[in-house]
Amino acid sequence: MTVPLLELEAVSKRFGGVKALKRVTFVVEEAEILGIIGPNGAGKTTLLNCISGVHRIDEGQINFDGKQINGEPPHMVARLGIGRTFQIVKPFASMTVRENAAIGALFGSSRARMAPAAAFAWADEVLALVGLASKASFPVAGLTIPDRKRLELARAVATRPRLLLLDEVMSGLNAVESDQALDVVRRIHQSGITIVLIEHVMPVVAGVCERIVVLNFGEVLTEGRTQDVLDDSRVVEAYLGQKYAKRLRQARGEPDQDR
Amino acid sequence: MTVFRRRLLLVALLVVTAVVLVLPVTLTPPAADAGLDPESLGIDFLVNKSILRMETTIAMFIVLATAWNLIGGLTGYAAFGNVAFFGLGAYTVGMLTDPERGHLPFALALPLAPLVPALFAALVGLPLLRLRGHYFAIATLGMGVAIGEVIKNIDLFGGSTGLFPPIFRRADWLFFYLMAGAAALAVATNWLVLRSRFGYGLIAIRENEEAAAVIGVNTTLHKVAAFVLAAALTGLAGGIFAQWNSFINQENVFPIEYNVEMILMAIAGGAGTLFGPLAGAIVLESLILWLAGMGGEVAVLSQIGLGLILAITIIFVPRGVVDFFGGQSALSLAHIRRSLRETSV
Repeated sequence: MTVPLLELEAVSKRFGGVKALKRVTFVVEEAEILGIIGPNGAGKTTLLNCISGVHRIDEGQINFDGKQINGEPPHMVARLGIGRTFQIVKPFASMTVRENAAIGALFGSSRARMAPAAAFAWADEVLALVGLASKASFPVAGLTIPDRKRLELARAVATRPRLLLLDEVMSGLNAVESDQALDVVRRIHQSGITIVLIEHVMPVVAGVCERIVVLNFGEVLTEGRTQDVLDDSRVVEAYLGQKYAKRLRQARGEPDQDR
Repeated sequence: MTVFRRRLLLVALLVVTAVVLVLPVTLTPPAADAGLDPESLGIDFLVNKSILRMETTIAMFIVLATAWNLIGGLTGYAAFGNVAFFGLGAYTVGMLTDPERGHLPFALALPLAPLVPALFAALVGLPLLRLRGHYFAIATLGMGVAIGEVIKNIDLFGGSTGLFPPIFRRADWLFFYLMAGAAALAVATNWLVLRSRFGYGLIAIRENEEAAAVIGVNTTLHKVAAFVLAAALTGLAGGIFAQWNSFINQENVFPIEYNVEMILMAIAGGAGTLFGPLAGAIVLESLILWLAGMGGEVAVLSQIGLGLILAITIIFVPRGVVDFFGGQSALSLAHIRRSLRETSV
């Protein structure tokens, strides 16, 4: 039996009296794209912060490639091969697009950490992958919002991670931009990187993820194959409320009290 | 045309630098013995003791501003207490060369001047660099004041009287060259850091510390290392100053004004750039020395003027004069010229 790339075992995180995560357990297999969805405040970003070492977890264990990583500082998690993006992009504003990506390659996972010349060459490859090659010499201030999202992706990919955690890369994008961003995510996946995609927007997840984990109030509500999860009326209820879920069940001719 | 003018400017700068660096040779004892002193050469209006003293002071502020640039300009941590490192370096030399304490010759004491402040910076850096923004600035300001007060109140360190390193007679040229060497070392350190992975890590921390951490920058290590480097260079300048001045006490090696001045120079010249702090130190320290020379009310008013310069720079050219002449920002002269050219076509 092979070890999953990432394992979360009963991970809990509290902020004062608020239980942001309650015994969250799931695995990410090598080479898949896993979606994590949930309504606002479900704990999606907290979960991502816990994996990437930004937050320390209170209970449970997180294993990456069979080794425990909870308790490691963020730069060690990055070095082990977990990259991430931020929902609100955090570019290095005084630098050019190319320099932003190159910094990822100068540091990053143990497979990256290149010398400056190699880092800039690798940065150009990554920028081509995300479709920013023509804007490599632009200062960040000259980028549109979709391009800033691409840059956020490029910097994370440049660190040569094995696992990439994407925090709502489609948020704030219109339908066309969102489709383009999805293409970029697929290309990154094809380059051999396992992806965890945190999303609020359902269609995005449905279009690209094979498997989905649903978070609600800090707990795993359900997980499974994408279509099964999206058909689950509990998921609809969590997102849209009981009234809508009830209507949906009636429309499908399902019994009313299947919770 | 512009290339030619830029070359001309560069050549002129190199000539001035060479003259400033070579002329003090005429003040050395061998030159005097050979009859090549400034007076007999008729150049004592270009090089004499008071001019050399001013140049040494300017070189000292080049060290302070350029060293501050490592932590304040590159890493983005507004350290307001670097004078603590200057004072510690000075007191290291003061204690070691004191006839009643260390008995060491200056040549052996000076190499230790960067070490003591560097160790101190490593120690206090760990807790201090967890603070950000104003909190870090205030904490370091407190550190700068506190260290001076502690030393002043310990008799072992000479108390409020201070320490008196043995006087070197007719050695103004020596201290000029030492301070100029320290300035060159500080600029070289900045140059190396700016080209290295370490330097990129520092800039990443300045731009966004959280993003820097998750792409694998060991932020704590980087910040402390930058702080320690800045402390070592600042301490070296302090060590040279102690012997040069041959009298140190809390007031002359822990002055709060130095904190403000070194930051003002670095920011006015261009924080985070290689030559910005150097240019800022030369221009502003010349100005300060000139105004102070006028004495009386002018000297007091000049302090207000410095504050005004700081405020104006931060508001209108936040990235400094170097950026103003060659940079990208919308308020820079270069940018205004570019847009004028584009609209006139």
